[in-house]
Amino acid sequence: MSRVDPRVKLFWVMLCTSGALIFVRLPWMAGLLLFCRLGTFSFGADRKALRGRLARFLPLFLLILLVHIVFVRTGTPLLFIRKYPIVTFDGLMRGATTLMRFFIILCSAAVMAGENTRRVLAAFSKMKVPYLFSFMLMIALRFLPTFSTSFSDALIALQLRGVELKRLSLVKKLRLYRDLLLPVVADAVVKSRVLAVVMEARGFGAMPRRTSYLEVRMTLRDWVLTGVLFVLGIVALGGYYFFP
Amino acid sequence: MTVAISVTDLVFGYQKGNFTLSCPHLRLEQGKLSLITGANGSGKTTLAKLICGILRPSGGSVQIFGQATSELSLGEIGRQVGYLFQDPSRQLFAGTVWKEMTFVDHLLESEQGTSTKKAQDLLDRFGLGELKSRSIYFLSGGEKQRLALCTILMGEPRFLILDEPTVGLDKQNRVILYDILDDLLREGRGIAVITHENELIERFAGAPQIKVERGQVSL
Repeated sequence: MSRVDPRVKLFWVMLCTSGALIFVRLPWMAGLLLFCRLGTFSFGADRKALRGRLARFLPLFLLILLVHIVFVRTGTPLLFIRKYPIVTFDGLMRGATTLMRFFIILCSAAVMAGENTRRVLAAFSKMKVPYLFSFMLMIALRFLPTFSTSFSDALIALQLRGVELKRLSLVKKLRLYRDLLLPVVADAVVKSRVLAVVMEARGFGAMPRRTSYLEVRMTLRDWVLTGVLFVLGIVALGGYYFFP
Repeated sequence: MTVAISVTDLVFGYQKGNFTLSCPHLRLEQGKLSLITGANGSGKTTLAKLICGILRPSGGSVQIFGQATSELSLGEIGRQVGYLFQDPSRQLFAGTVWKEMTFVDHLLESEQGTSTKKAQDLLDRFGLGELKSRSIYFLSGGEKQRLALCTILMGEPRFLILDEPTVGLDKQNRVILYDILDDLLREGRGIAVITHENELIERFAGAPQIKVERGQVSL
């Protein structure tokens, strides 16, 4: 299944992320999560990388859960401190739904991250998306790891100057990240300018049309899969409309 | 002579790829310059990163002034060993030369007077005194490298590891760098220089050479 046409994967990602944004109730989100997990592994996402990414986002996920638990005051109270309700049923449900939403988005991203960039570009080309636009999109996505590397390099260099990050107070840590963010973004801008010059020097965009050796073709399996996904999408939307 | 860095039965392999570095035994002495030589991709930078604690070994141990790096945080290692990246731009991140020099002291809210004087002295000594307000993006390769070295020396590490410090430098900047290295040695610091350039190897001909070939470290 990992060799499925990138357009099918894009359609699947569109369904999952749209569902994640539309659904607000836990049972629907749980169903979508199940569907998303099934697709993630069928489409050959890198499980180890996904696990790593989830572990990295775990503190943020917990914070989101905590914020929902603390600030959603509606629903049946489940836990009190003296007379004040601390945890409500609605807070828990909304927290869990939001966590699932993030999880679905990460899983969808993992599937596209595992796809060959050239195949995705070829798929965009077949969908009549202008090459310049799709190429820019791929470059932008490729810049995310560069951005992250620059940030971690800066943190390593700083620690090797004798700064112990773990001993810094939260305020100082936040100030540090704020101070590092601007130069790291500036570095990314400098790199992108260099890349633009290099691309131009290689004649990028010089001709009105661009030919490609690699072409992606929808096979019968891809069409069937697209059809199944389409029907599932319609059924889910209809079901959600009548039984929200 | 004090042993600054001691490596025993070190083994390291990257998760992706089949490169493995192995170093059965290595000692780098304080107050001396050692050369780490080898071809591109032989594992010189990996060895340096293992010594500095940027990478953690899968086997064996690295000791810095008698303390195992496995028991030290990166910050604690950094206070004893300074590391100059192959590309110094990677370790410069403040807006101007002066902000770069005082970044750590500003962050830790150290005594401003002392750090200001130290920063000014270092910049003057490394020929960067006139460039205090210049943006780091408008520095030449040689200036960036000297600035990166200055920022490392702000923390007064006892040992320095310089990763291919002569790459991209013209003759004049190379001579400045050699003089700086001589000065640092006179101060009693230990230095390990990663290089494959003959000029540097000849300039420090008497220095012990550590050879790295296809991931195998030998003296």
